[in-house]
Amino acid sequence: MTFRLTCPVCGARDVYEFRYGGPERGMRPAQEDLSPEEHFRWTQFRTTRPAPQEEWWYHAAGCGVWFSTWRNPATNREEGPAT
Amino acid sequence: MTPAGPGALRLERLWEQRPLKRSYDVIIIGGGIHGLATAYYLAKEHGIRDVAVLERQYIGFGGSGRNTAIVRANQRTQENVRLYDEGLKLWPILTDELDYNLMFFNCGNLNLAHSEAAVNAFRLSVNTANFNHVESELLDAQSCKELIPILDVSDKPKYPIQAGMYHPPGGVLRHDAVVWGLAKGAAEHGVDIHQGVEVQGIDVQGAKVTGVRTNHGPIECAKLGVMAGGYGAEVCAMLDLELPVHPLTIQAMVTQPLKPFLHHVVSSGAYHVYANQTLKGEIATGAHMDPQVNYTTDATAHYFKHQAEALTDFMPALKGARFLRIWAGLADMTPDMAPILDGNVGFDGLYLDLGWGYFGFKSGPVAGKYMAEFIARETCPEILEPFALDRFLENRYMGETATTMKYGHWD
Ligand SMILES: Cc1cc2nc3c(=O)[nH]c(=O)nc-3n(C[C@H](O)[C@H](O)[C@H](O)COP(=O)(O)OP(=O)(O)OC[C@H]3O[C@@H](n4cnc5c(N)ncnc54)[C@H](O)[C@@H]3O)c2cc1C
Ligand SMILES: [Zn+2]
Repeated sequence: MTFRLTCPVCGARDVYEFRYGGPERGMRPAQEDLSPEEHFRWTQFRTTRPAPQEEWWYHAAGCGVWFSTWRNPATNREEGPAT
Repeated sequence: MTPAGPGALRLERLWEQRPLKRSYDVIIIGGGIHGLATAYYLAKEHGIRDVAVLERQYIGFGGSGRNTAIVRANQRTQENVRLYDEGLKLWPILTDELDYNLMFFNCGNLNLAHSEAAVNAFRLSVNTANFNHVESELLDAQSCKELIPILDVSDKPKYPIQAGMYHPPGGVLRHDAVVWGLAKGAAEHGVDIHQGVEVQGIDVQGAKVTGVRTNHGPIECAKLGVMAGGYGAEVCAMLDLELPVHPLTIQAMVTQPLKPFLHHVVSSGAYHVYANQTLKGEIATGAHMDPQVNYTTDATAHYFKHQAEALTDFMPALKGARFLRIWAGLADMTPDMAPILDGNVGFDGLYLDLGWGYFGFKSGPVAGKYMAEFIARETCPEILEPFALDRFLENRYMGETATTMKYGHWD
């Protein structure tokens, strides 16, 4: 089943209108003195858990805005962080 | 009592169900093709028979029972070609060894190029294959049409066909038969297969793995193999071991059965499709990958439409064929689209065989063969050395992203 994401400009739209931008990773570490290991940990080394995560999306077939939202990879539904 | 005669119903079980013990030499998490193959070779080749395969659902529940069973050895990098080539040659051997019909059909794979860049990528792949004695050749569009007459090689398709990469030794199998055959073979050599047993925690003492906690109580082991497919990274998270493995959903589907007309596997990176005709006559086709990481196995109407448009654009004769079924499974993608095969990772006795993405069917038996050797001898077989986890930490990506079927999570 497909699902909908909420664009801050256009509202709830089919997920296939969007492009996935990956999970929120915090600030890019300073490049100076960055070891390959630190670089890699920042870019890739993170296990996706079946629990809500903050991530980036781009409304490619809509208004063209980049935004962040919370989604649960276990269900594919928008769901805020556990409180 | 078994009724005799051809076509008679087989009533005997594929393997003997033994009681779950409290301790094993080796525990394998995951009853997919990788876990079952590893257990099979441990018992058969290395005499290590005190082995349990723990599967939380049923064998073949994961990618192993959901894939499109396409096999080939024309990967992009030499390290991978070597492994997949041996894997391809194993199918007829295994069919004999297991005394089980795996329905290997070496019909050959034709991959289409629709751009100058794709043709160049094919040249590189063909050279790598040929250098490693793997049959692979570049064909012009007309020769592609001779192989697959329903291809539209005119300039009408959105992405006109410019060339093809033909790989005669590849083909398809029956994925369920591989799962069942390996389970039967492993059990015959003494392996225990336990379905419905979920690993919920991993016990360690110091830096050594000592056992697992399950919904059926704790079980001790000296060595532990994580072969849990798309769920592998989640299992490793029980040890706070983070992995660069991203689970994505892939979908595949089949049409109604049609008379035989498609005699090869045909694929196209530009259209994001591949298709072959099964022995039942269905066109089996995949594989769409939803880009967001997730653990669902949801199928979507969006993909029916994508697949129908893509296939009929360069094979217009398929217009009007009806889809019968659609399904989905997980692919455990790594950043370089090559697997992680490693041992004593973070903890003594911990072995990883995961991150296969959508290549883990064709590699199942060969990976199992070498992982069994790794576990038995406690040294990494040379052929697996390039696949160690720390390649990422040293910024040595394997470059399989240049393979022709490409759906990274950035796509
Ligand atoms: C639609 C689709 C098409 C594909 N097409 C191809 C193809 O054409 N060619 C190809 O080579 N590959 C293909 N693949 C990829 C291939 O299917 C997988 O890479 C392969 O099956 C992985 O096998 P595995 O044994 O590693 O994992 P799986 O088959 O996924 O097995 C892992 C098992 O572990 C079990 N498990 C998970 N967690 C636990 C736990 N905590 N405790 C106990 N058990 C657990 C699961 O229930 C599962 O049965 C495709 C995949 C999909 C989804
Ligand atoms: Zn919008």
